[in-house]
Amino acid sequence: MQTETTPAQADVSELDLVRQCQAGQTDAFDQLVTRYRTRVFAMIYNMVHNEQDAWDLAQESFIKAWKSIGRFRGKSSFYTWIYRIVMNVTIDWLRKRQIKAGGAEFDDAIQLKEIDPASKTVPRADPLPHQRMEQHEIRARINHAISQLSPEHRAVILMKEIEEMQYHEIAQSLGCSIGTVMSRLFYARKKLQNSLRDVYENV
Amino acid sequence: MKTFEEKWTAWLDGQLSGKELAEFESSLPDLAAAEAEKRDAQKLGAFLKEQLTTQAMSNEEFFSHQLHEWIARESAARHRSTSTWWTIPRLVWSGATALALFVITTVLLMSQHQPGEQSEYLTQILQSRVDPAANPNATISIFESKTDNKVTVLWTEGLQSLPADYAAK
Repeated sequence: MQTETTPAQADVSELDLVRQCQAGQTDAFDQLVTRYRTRVFAMIYNMVHNEQDAWDLAQESFIKAWKSIGRFRGKSSFYTWIYRIVMNVTIDWLRKRQIKAGGAEFDDAIQLKEIDPASKTVPRADPLPHQRMEQHEIRARINHAISQLSPEHRAVILMKEIEEMQYHEIAQSLGCSIGTVMSRLFYARKKLQNSLRDVYENV
Repeated sequence: MKTFEEKWTAWLDGQLSGKELAEFESSLPDLAAAEAEKRDAQKLGAFLKEQLTTQAMSNEEFFSHQLHEWIARESAARHRSTSTWWTIPRLVWSGATALALFVITTVLLMSQHQPGEQSEYLTQILQSRVDPAANPNATISIFESKTDNKVTVLWTEGLQSLPADYAAK
């Protein structure tokens, strides 16, 4: 996982910074925030698709991290630990928004016939666009496809494909088993393949 | 026992090897189609990676500044709330100390207390015998008080004289 560090900051180990935070040193926490703020923001943005909401949720996540950093025991890496907070905050926010909207926004239902491993994978027969899609249009398609996934499925696909996290790291971040992560990845990928195939086949 | 979904995901991500890989691939009805599916999923992954990693955070320094301000406010508020002398932890400790002192004092006093003399109301009948010749109508009754077991009442009636060897203490 890439982090945002200067050479001087890189000299200080993450665990040292955590220990300093636990001793109440806010400067150490500033350094941790600087290392992870961009990644955390991007991760949340990819889940909620709104810059202001992503900003607020990132703030809330770091505040919760500061409040509970005394309980961090170093059993996992710091970024796995903070991702767990980020995921809890973001998934909770998405769930509340879904309840407020009063309907099932996410559609995880996928027919078994759609996931037959023997099925042929071919580009959709839809006519190809005459011109290459503009970047924002592609992004809009991706956002729409991701928004059709449940928060948990969004989380696993983004952590695997964008953050390149290992199964066990994703499992730690989401507080679930590795098997659950793999199963969610399976369905999330199938869903996105169905939704975006014409885009990524033709870009 | 892995489910099909778990095996498929592991296979797609190159996490299967050896016997497990051979078994899984042999279980697929159409390996060529599955390989095509795998390539498609990998293409999706690369596409998402390319498209979604460009989202930059604006005003990063302001973000950190806001956090810093919040933490400073929170720390100041916490300091104010902990400056009162009678905090809850101190109250708890004071209560525990007082209780401990009480227990120690009680134990000390009890250990110093000597067992006292037998109650003057406790009478042990050593000998009680009525000579039927001398006291033909004599009766002796013994009552114990229900409210105080240390009180025993010896009730005698019809005695002409007390036996010479009567003794009680």
